Amino acid sequence: MLGNFCSLFKKDFQMMMSGRFFLVAFGSLIIYTVFINFGYTRYMNAEPYNVYLYDPLGTQQEVSERICPVTSLEELNAVVLSDTNGVGIDASSGTPSIVLYFGSEKADNHRTDYALSLLHQENEYHAWIAGTNTLELKQRKEMCCELLFVELIAVGFLGIASVLFKEKQMGVIRVHAVLPLKKNLFIVSKIAVFLLSDLIFTALMTVWNIGFPDAAVILPAVLTQTVILSLIMALTGFGCTMLLKDFRQFSLAYLVIAIFAAAPVFLSANTSVKLEWINWHPFYHVYMGLKNAYFGMPGTGSVYYICSVCGIVILFLGVQTAFRREMGKEG
Amino acid sequence: MRGLLYPFKSVWKDKFCIMSFLLPIVVAFALRFVGGIDLSSVAQFHFGVLEDELSAQTISWLGRYGSVTAYETEDELIAAINEPSSYMIGVTANDGGIQTMISGDELDLFRQTADTLPALYMGRESAEQVRVTVLERPDLMDGFQNIFIAIILIAAMFMGCTFNAMNIISEKENGVDLVNQILPMTQGGYVVQKMIVGFAGGCLSAILTACCYFRLPMERVLLMIVLIMLSAFIAALIGLLIGKFSESLMVGVVFIKIVMIVFMAVPLVSYLLGAGGVVSVLCYLVPSSAAFEGIMDLADNGRAMIGKDMVILVVHCIAWFLLYLLAANRINDIKAQTSK
Repeated sequence: MLGNFCSLFKKDFQMMMSGRFFLVAFGSLIIYTVFINFGYTRYMNAEPYNVYLYDPLGTQQEVSERICPVTSLEELNAVVLSDTNGVGIDASSGTPSIVLYFGSEKADNHRTDYALSLLHQENEYHAWIAGTNTLELKQRKEMCCELLFVELIAVGFLGIASVLFKEKQMGVIRVHAVLPLKKNLFIVSKIAVFLLSDLIFTALMTVWNIGFPDAAVILPAVLTQTVILSLIMALTGFGCTMLLKDFRQFSLAYLVIAIFAAAPVFLSANTSVKLEWINWHPFYHVYMGLKNAYFGMPGTGSVYYICSVCGIVILFLGVQTAFRREMGKEG
Repeated sequence: MRGLLYPFKSVWKDKFCIMSFLLPIVVAFALRFVGGIDLSSVAQFHFGVLEDELSAQTISWLGRYGSVTAYETEDELIAAINEPSSYMIGVTANDGGIQTMISGDELDLFRQTADTLPALYMGRESAEQVRVTVLERPDLMDGFQNIFIAIILIAAMFMGCTFNAMNIISEKENGVDLVNQILPMTQGGYVVQKMIVGFAGGCLSAILTACCYFRLPMERVLLMIVLIMLSAFIAALIGLLIGKFSESLMVGVVFIKIVMIVFMAVPLVSYLLGAGGVVSVLCYLVPSSAAFEGIMDLADNGRAMIGKDMVILVVHCIAWFLLYLLAANRINDIKAQTSK
């Protein structure tokens, strides 16, 4: 049986090689790495609000270095208009008054008080640091996790389709119906190739973008989550391939999953926006599992693992039924 | 044009084509009528406190700046601060004042806020007597909500390229392409047919999506339709190019994946980061940038940029059309040479 598995595994591997599947995955890896290193971490930051002061009488003596002085009221208005997050302080009458563009009520309260506090020399206070990540490390982990999630969805789902549709058209599935092989081996060998390629992809992506010392600590947890996501996606891809007529239909199903299923997950998981129904979204939990693994958070409990295993088993059984039906139909 | 019936028929029979056609419309419908997504929490601070530690006044003072969540134990508070999706600032009592806690991986804005919060607390009484002039500007959150619909519209518009690209590639794979070559049909007629499939699909989906979400006055409705038609035309041309260059469905899907990601990411990233100067000009090389800007403009009740966006889209239409002609000629030349 092991021999049969190995020969099936080898055949699948060669099919993916000839379909330039690995080349596409490697190309994606390079693009993601370049994006993380030269794009995301460099340009993604939110600066504190700028505070502009117009004080012709010089009434404010002890202003902070963070205040930008302006020389006329017109300049103050112009600069606040061009930097609508900024706050203007007009002290021309002797007592300061605040000019700012509406942001949101609570943010405006803070902007006002913050601007006024800068009129006095502040004593250097630094908030107590409770975590271990730096901003750059957090951004690297965050983007790595997001891109990995997108890529794992794409690799498992699209990749398995590219191989399977070819076999479906060539009649290989029909041949398997008469081969003296355990039918499950066909499914298992396909899933195993993708699992292996996903694991290698994940390891390379993590080590290249987070650095070996930091990556080594989180890699076991990240790889565990990768196994779950990879199995789910590959099995879903397998099932869809069996049910759908051709690759065109499949690619549209992929677009639907990639764009519309992943978007609310990203929104809920990466921002403070919490959608009420998101807990019913299965990808949300898988994504959070991956994210928690990257950030070393305990978050994922045993219920999640039990549900994942059950989900994978159900998917496998579904795929098995669809596969047998497909063999029967073609035979 | 009777030949047009067949591609449309195959699209109509295709459940997934219909689904992908309807999906942007359904999302727009949901956004419009189910109430959309509450994004107000993005624009405020989040403070974490320990239960029964700070006075009610302090908590209501914090509440002026953002939401306040109470945690039972310090461990829970620290776990919430370290939670990567939010920028929570922990606030604890300290000698009549307050002290702050952050996880250390915050953006500068949040770090600075945490550093200055105790000083703000100490000076809270004096701050209340100052005159504040708040100038009006369009609600930021409305703009944020519009981003969603703009991106969904972009997806609907450029979905057109999927329809005709996939149609051409599947014909290539089935050998119908070879049959087409001996049919009494000009190359131009074939191209027009394939373009109409993509153009009509993208146009119709985007128009219905826009109808579900926007309530615009007549003049802007017309502008929106022109915008959608120009974008769908470009999408159809891109679909033709993809169909021309892809020998297999897998390659076609990879091309479409790249086109979709680039077309959605470039305008979104440049909008969110507020790109200016040379970068913003470079962004216009991607046609969806101008379309995105135009949609946002129309949604914000403005018309300042719409003329410029239309011109850019028209230039794109011409450029992509020329590019297609060039590519088609080149491929035909190569085929002619190899057949010799």
